[in-house]
Amino acid sequence: MALKGLDIFKLSPKKNCKECGSPTCMAFCMKVAQGAITIDKCPYFSDDAKAMLNEQTAPPMKTITFGKDHKLGGETVLFRHEKTLVNKNLYAVPVCTCMDDATVDAKLAEMAKVDYERIGERMYVETIFVRNAGNDAAAYTKLVEKAAATGRDLILECWDVDCAKAALAVCKDSKPILDGATPDNWEAMNEVAKEAGVVLGVWAENISDLYDTVKKLEAAGNKNLVLDVTGKTAKETLANAVLVRRTALKDGDRSFGYPSIVNVAKLAKGDKHLQTALAAMFTEKYASVIVMESMDYAQALPLYGLRQNIFTDPQKPMKVESKIYPLNGADENSPCALTVDFALTYFLVSGELERSNQPVNLIITDASGMSVLTAWAAGKFSSTSVKKTFADLDIENKIKNRTLIIPGKVAVMKGEIAEKLPGWNVVVGPTEAVQLPKYMKDKEYEAAAKAAAAEAAAKAAATPAEEVKELSFEELLATKVPAIEVVDMGVQYKGHNPEAQTFVTIGERIHCISPVIRKAMDERDPAPILKRAAEQIAAGATYLDVNIGPAEKDGPERMMWAVKLLQENFNNVPLALDTANKKAIEAGIKVYNRTNGKPIVNSADAGSRISYIDLAAANDAICIALCSADGIAKDNEERMKHCHNMLERGLSLGMEATDLWFDPLFLVVKGMQDKQMDVLNAIKLFADEGLKSTGGLSNNSNGAPKNVRPIMDSALVAMAMMQGLTSAIVNPCDLRLMETIKSCDIFKNHVLYSDSYLDL
Amino acid sequence: MSFEPKKQPYSGKINAVTLGTGDKAIVIGGQNVLPFYTFDAPIENAPKIGIEISDLAGEWTAPALKEFYAGCTTMADYAKKAETMEGADFLCLHFESADPNGANRSVADCVADAKAVAEAVSMPIVIMGCKNIEKDGELFSKIAEALQGKNILVLSARSEDYKTVGASVALAYGQKVGAETADDINLAKQLNIMLKGLTVSPASIVMNVGTAAVGYGYEYVASTLDRVRLAALAQSDADLQMPIIAPVSPDTWGVKESTASEEDEPTWGSQEERAIGMEVATAAADLTGGADAVIMRHPAAVATIKKFINELM
Repeated sequence: MALKGLDIFKLSPKKNCKECGSPTCMAFCMKVAQGAITIDKCPYFSDDAKAMLNEQTAPPMKTITFGKDHKLGGETVLFRHEKTLVNKNLYAVPVCTCMDDATVDAKLAEMAKVDYERIGERMYVETIFVRNAGNDAAAYTKLVEKAAATGRDLILECWDVDCAKAALAVCKDSKPILDGATPDNWEAMNEVAKEAGVVLGVWAENISDLYDTVKKLEAAGNKNLVLDVTGKTAKETLANAVLVRRTALKDGDRSFGYPSIVNVAKLAKGDKHLQTALAAMFTEKYASVIVMESMDYAQALPLYGLRQNIFTDPQKPMKVESKIYPLNGADENSPCALTVDFALTYFLVSGELERSNQPVNLIITDASGMSVLTAWAAGKFSSTSVKKTFADLDIENKIKNRTLIIPGKVAVMKGEIAEKLPGWNVVVGPTEAVQLPKYMKDKEYEAAAKAAAAEAAAKAAATPAEEVKELSFEELLATKVPAIEVVDMGVQYKGHNPEAQTFVTIGERIHCISPVIRKAMDERDPAPILKRAAEQIAAGATYLDVNIGPAEKDGPERMMWAVKLLQENFNNVPLALDTANKKAIEAGIKVYNRTNGKPIVNSADAGSRISYIDLAAANDAICIALCSADGIAKDNEERMKHCHNMLERGLSLGMEATDLWFDPLFLVVKGMQDKQMDVLNAIKLFADEGLKSTGGLSNNSNGAPKNVRPIMDSALVAMAMMQGLTSAIVNPCDLRLMETIKSCDIFKNHVLYSDSYLDL
Repeated sequence: MSFEPKKQPYSGKINAVTLGTGDKAIVIGGQNVLPFYTFDAPIENAPKIGIEISDLAGEWTAPALKEFYAGCTTMADYAKKAETMEGADFLCLHFESADPNGANRSVADCVADAKAVAEAVSMPIVIMGCKNIEKDGELFSKIAEALQGKNILVLSARSEDYKTVGASVALAYGQKVGAETADDINLAKQLNIMLKGLTVSPASIVMNVGTAAVGYGYEYVASTLDRVRLAALAQSDADLQMPIIAPVSPDTWGVKESTASEEDEPTWGSQEERAIGMEVATAAADLTGGADAVIMRHPAAVATIKKFINELM
C-alpha cells in the first residue's frame, strides 16, 4: 500500500532544517512517498515513526527465499493483467517414510526424467516434498538425505519436533522449508526453524486456526513463513488459497501475506487426470508450491506450458531463442525460412511449416520479441540484424542450400538482405502463416529462388565490384544530395520562440510508414513531402517530425536532403529527426538551421537506444527520451527509474535537463485501458521535477473509428496538459485536437486570451 | 482477533442462458461471483461440458477414443454414443469437412447430418462451423432453420458476419447465437453491442472470447477471461454479462504435445495420455478463468473435468 506524502508528513519532525537537502519537511515527505528518496536521509525521524512507516510501506506479500535461490510470493496483484505476476509457482513431488525404499527410488528416478527446455526456461520438478509419517528420526533423516542427493530443493513436511531437528541437522545448509508448524506445536517448531535458519511452513485444520497460528508466530518474531493452505477438499482448498491471497493484497492484512503451498496429491487421491486439472487451477489461483503425486510428461507438458504463459510479464513479449530450427527432418540441403523471435509468431509459423510436411530450416532472428512488422518499423528486424544472425549462428557453414524465404510482410527488405548475404537467393514468402503449407507443398519458392539467382548473376556481371569508400558528410552533401529548389507552397512558417511556454506540437505526418512518403524519400521527390509539410505548418505545427525509415543504406544523404528541403522551403521550420540510423541524424544536424529552435533527436530510450542521448549531447540537440527499456514499463516506479537513468546520463554529458523531453509512452486504449491513468500520472511526476515531456499521444486511439479518434485525442491532450505535458507528437491536421491544445494554453495562462485566440 | 473471511459477491450477474429443450435442457451462467468462488456466494448452475463430434471423427487415432466410438459410422451414431459418455451435458457437432479448402462437403449433407442427430438424441446441440465465413454463413442459417424449436447454439457470429448469422440464427429461427472474438475484450463488447443492435436479445447470446491450448499464448486467453468476467461482475457491464463457452478440444488436439508420435518423441511417453493431459489442463484453466461451458473430446478427459467441477461446486 503506497503511503501518501501527507501521512508521512504527520510523523515528520516538522523542523524544516534542510539537512536532508529538501527545502521543507513537506517537500521531503512528498519525495519519500514517491520513492525518490529514502527516509534515512532525515536525521530527526524518530525510530518509532520509522518502524511504523517501514511496516506500512512493506509490500503486502512477502517474498520468501529458500533452497538454491528459489523465490516464492512477492505478488502485488490478484490478476496478471493488473501489472504482472512476479514469482512463478514451483512443482514438487512427495516421498514419504511410509514408502519402502524401492518405491522412493522409483519415484525419484521417474521425477528426474522430466527435464527439458521450453522457450528458454528449464522445466523440471524443482522441489521434493519429504513427508514424515511417524516419529522415527533415523528413518526420516535417511529419507531426507536420499532426497537431498538428487540436488533438488527440499520441503520437509514433518510435524514431529525431534524428527524435524534431526532432519535439519543433515540438510539445513541447503535451506529447505520446514513445513511443520501447527496450532499445537508452533512454539517448539518455531524454535527449530529459527535455530536452523530455515523458512517455516504453517498448517491448520481450518483457515481461522491458520490465521491465529500465523499471528502467534509473528508475535514471536518469525515472519519467514509459508502457509500450507491444503484443506480437506478441493473446494475448501480453493477457498483457502483465494482468501489468503485476497486478504493480503486487497484488504492489506499482512498476516496472510505469505506464499501458499497446495498439496494436490492429497486432494486428487490417486486420480492422475484429476490431479492435472487441479494443478492447472492452482497454477492460476494462487499456489506458490504445488505438490503432485507424480510428474510425468503427460502432466508436465501442459502444466509447465500453462505456468510459462501465466507468469509471462504482460508488458514483455515472450521470446524464443534465435537459432536454426530444423523442421520435418530438415538438413543442410533444405531451404531456409526466416522470421522473428516473438513467441506467438514462432508457434504460428513453425506450426504451419510442420503442417506442410516439407523439410525446412526455420531461422529465428533476434527482434526483441516483436512481431514482424512492428520489429521492422522499429528497426529491430533489418538486413543488418539478419546479417548478424547469420554470422552468430554460422549459417553460411551449417547450411548448404542457398534459398532463404523471408516473410511477405517485409518484401521491401528483399534487396537489402540479398546485398548483405551474397550468394543467398532471397525469396519473398506469403504474408500470412496459414498460406505456408500450400506455398511449401507447391514449392513456389523454387522458381523464385532461380529467378533471384539469375538476377544476382546478372548484377554481378554488369557491375564489377567497386570498392566502397566511406564519404564524409561534406563529400556526401556535395555529391549525393540534390540541390534544393524552393517552391512557393503558399504557406509561411511563422517562427517559434524556444523560450515560450506554449505547448509544442510535433507534426507526425512525414513518416516512412506511409507508402507515399516512403516512395518520395526513395526517389528524392520533393512534391509529396512539401505538400504534407505545408499542410501541417498551415495547421499550426510547431515542429515537424522527419521519419526517413530505417534507412540503413543511404541514411545520411537522405536526412541531409530532407532537412534542407524542409528548412529552405519553410523559413527554417524546426525539425525532429527520426530514424534508427544514428549517422543519418548526425548528418541531418550538420545541415540544420537553429533559428527557430534546436533540432530534436527522436528518440532515445533507457535500453538499447540510450546512446541517442550521447548523440544529442554531442550535437547540442534536444532528445526525446522514451521511459522504457525492454518493453513497456510495468509501472511508474519503473518509468521514473528509466527517466532518472537517462536524466543522469544527459546531465553528465553536459546537457540541460530541459533538453531531455521525457516520453511516458502513450498506450492504446483498446488493449491497455487500465494503464491510461498510469501514463497520465507519470507526466505529473515529470512535471513535478521540472522536466519536459512529449510523446505519441494519438497512439491512445489506435484502432478506434476515424470519427472517434479526434475526440479521444482531444480529451487525452487536455488531461495530459493538466498533468503538465509540454509537447506531443500529433497530427496537426486534426482541427479538434489543435483547438483543444490552443484552449488549454489559454487556461494554463501561456497565451493571453483574445476572442480570436483560435485563429492565431 | 480471529480471521473473518470477507465475502465478495458482486452486484453484476452473468446472464442465465438455457440451451436445448425438455429434461435434458441445460442452463449456463446466472452467478454473481468469480468461477467456483462458492465461498463468496452460492453458484446455482455448475459449468457444463459439451462433447465434440466432428464429421472428421473417423480420422481420430487415439486408441481409447476410437474404442469408445467403435462401430460408429454416421454422425448420429457418434452422437448417440456421446450421449452415454460420463460427464456429457450437451453435444457439439463440428462440421470441419464443410471447408471449401478441405473436403468441401455440401451444406445439404451437413444439414442432413444435423437433422439425423437431432432426431436421435435428446441432449442440447451446439453447432460449430468450418471457419470459412461464406460457407459457415449458409451452413448456420440452414441448420438453424432445420432444427427450429430445438433451442440450439450456433458457433459463431464474428465481426465479419454477425449481421447474417445473427439475423438468421437468432432472429429468424429463434436459436442461441455465439459471439466469437479472439482475445480482444473491446471487440467482444462491441460485437455484443452490434448483435443487440440487430435486436438479438442478450439472453440469446453466448460468448467465445478466444481460446488456445495451454502453452500456446494462453496468457492472452487467461487475461481476457479475467478481464471480461471482472467487467461483467465488478463494473456491471451488461454488454459483457453473457455466459462464456470455450471450445477446448479443437485447439488441444492439434498441438505438438498431442500430435507427436511416440516414435518422434520417445521420452514423452504415451501420446494419448499427453493429449488427455493437454485437454484436461486447458479445460480446467478455462473453467478457472471464467468459462461456463467447455467443449471436449476424450472420454477420460470429460470424466475428469466432470469430477473436477463436482468437487468444486
